[in-house]
Amino acid sequence: VTTPSRIVPFGEAAFLVVLGERISAPLNRRTHALDSAVRERFHRDDGWGEPVPAYASLLVPFDPDRVPAADARARLAALVTAVEQSGIPPERPGPLVEIPVRYGGADGPDLDEVAERLGLSPREVVALHAGRTYRVFMLGFVPGFAYLGSVAPRLVLPRRATPRPRVPVGSIGIAGRQTAVYPFATAGGWHLLGRTDVTLWDPASDRPARLAPGDRVRFVPTGGPS
Amino acid sequence: MTAVLEVLVPGLLTTVQDAGRPDAARLGVPPAGACDPRGLMVANALLENPPGAPAVEITLGGVELTVRETTVLALGGADLGAVVVEEGRALAAGASHLVWAGQTIRFIGRRAGIVRGARAYLALPGGIDVPEVLGSASTCLVAGFGGVDGRRLRVGDLITGRRPSDPSLAGRAWPGPIVGDVTVVRVVAGPHGSRFGGRALDALTRRDWVVRPDSDRMGIRLSGPPLRHRHQGGSLVSVPVLWGAIQVPPDGTPIVLLADHQTVGGYPVLAVAIRADRSPLGQLAPGDPVRFELVDLAGAAAAWDTERAREAAVLGALARDERWHDHWRWAGS
Repeated sequence: VTTPSRIVPFGEAAFLVVLGERISAPLNRRTHALDSAVRERFHRDDGWGEPVPAYASLLVPFDPDRVPAADARARLAALVTAVEQSGIPPERPGPLVEIPVRYGGADGPDLDEVAERLGLSPREVVALHAGRTYRVFMLGFVPGFAYLGSVAPRLVLPRRATPRPRVPVGSIGIAGRQTAVYPFATAGGWHLLGRTDVTLWDPASDRPARLAPGDRVRFVPTGGPS
Repeated sequence: MTAVLEVLVPGLLTTVQDAGRPDAARLGVPPAGACDPRGLMVANALLENPPGAPAVEITLGGVELTVRETTVLALGGADLGAVVVEEGRALAAGASHLVWAGQTIRFIGRRAGIVRGARAYLALPGGIDVPEVLGSASTCLVAGFGGVDGRRLRVGDLITGRRPSDPSLAGRAWPGPIVGDVTVVRVVAGPHGSRFGGRALDALTRRDWVVRPDSDRMGIRLSGPPLRHRHQGGSLVSVPVLWGAIQVPPDGTPIVLLADHQTVGGYPVLAVAIRADRSPLGQLAPGDPVRFELVDLAGAAAAWDTERAREAAVLGALARDERWHDHWRWAGS
């Protein structure tokens, strides 16, 4: 976190602010603090686009016809410095979202294999997965797909060698130090442990993505081996 | 509304697209929208629609539409060999046409001698009438929303304009180029140059690439000798990415992101296509050769200004043409 952020052009009409090269909660908090600051100060009417936050970086689009790139960079640099000097924002607990999960069986077709590969019982895998409160680090991959971290070190597996062409809606997967709920049926390469009926993506609603960066998530087992 | 077409043969990939929804990227939503924004603008301008109004994007041809009600329509983007089957009348790209109830429009496909372009845009008066979702009528294929029920068009779908047909808008031609030179795409250096060996940009720009058949609206995949990363430079903590970014996965074969790209990516970005060349990029078809030419940010800005000035001049010429056209206005259909 001590490394200063870098601002690099990403094409002609955006800057990428790189706050770090790691997945860490403090870096992610700072990323979202910067995201909020950018949204607060740089408005569409003045030629700025909606910023896009990731783990430890922020894309800040602008219209070079309205904000000259040099001005955009200077204003962004001043804001980055201000956010850095205010330190890492304290962990203000985000809203806690509880997601009921049916682990194993047809809902979690990879549970047994994951357990076997990790030298655990399916029950232990469920206990480890449901035994933590996760942080939403970012949205990406597909609409409303929230990257949650970090899973217990004992649950870490690389993603599946061959992705499934179709993962059912509500499936809960793990890959690396991350876990996520598939917001709708789509292709996916994560190991599927269970499934929920909670709706995570509804483009017609005022809040299309149920989960937002900074939210906290707990999975609550409702069936399967427990 | 009255202007109605019915899909008889939907072709490879036919979707409703407009200017897209770039502001929803923070929700993980691909920008979507026309792969060739200029082709979309041309089709709309011919019907006096807003430049980013929804149109039908047709990929490579093989599409047949039945005209259910007499209408004016306009075509932008690639010339995919559109004809009125009953008359054998060719419907030129970059022009507006009157088609009559009962007729069939067929997009034969790219013809020998016309090698440019992959995507045609069919506009109806006022734009295609579909609801907006997250600020856009574009089809989000991966999540299944926008456009017509969030999917590609299929047999029996009805396509309607937002305005009644005005036959006086038929017979206009775009007084400028329709699809530009697709073989050279200009790029600026990307944000991850240090992840690559010193000559990676040279390697990207000094040779011809060929568009692979597995390219789609998410990205153009290129075949050619692999580009080299530095040791362990092949993957990174995912960062937000954008349209035109040239990602280089660990296997070294570049992917140029298009309209339906994922919003974050874990592959280093070696270069970024400039905005002025976004439309030609979106017209590349499998098997097409493409070269990349490195420019600096000032060069990219100059290219953008040139493109905009050219567009304004052509739009001005189209408007003057309209006065001539008024002279020939004929009543109703």
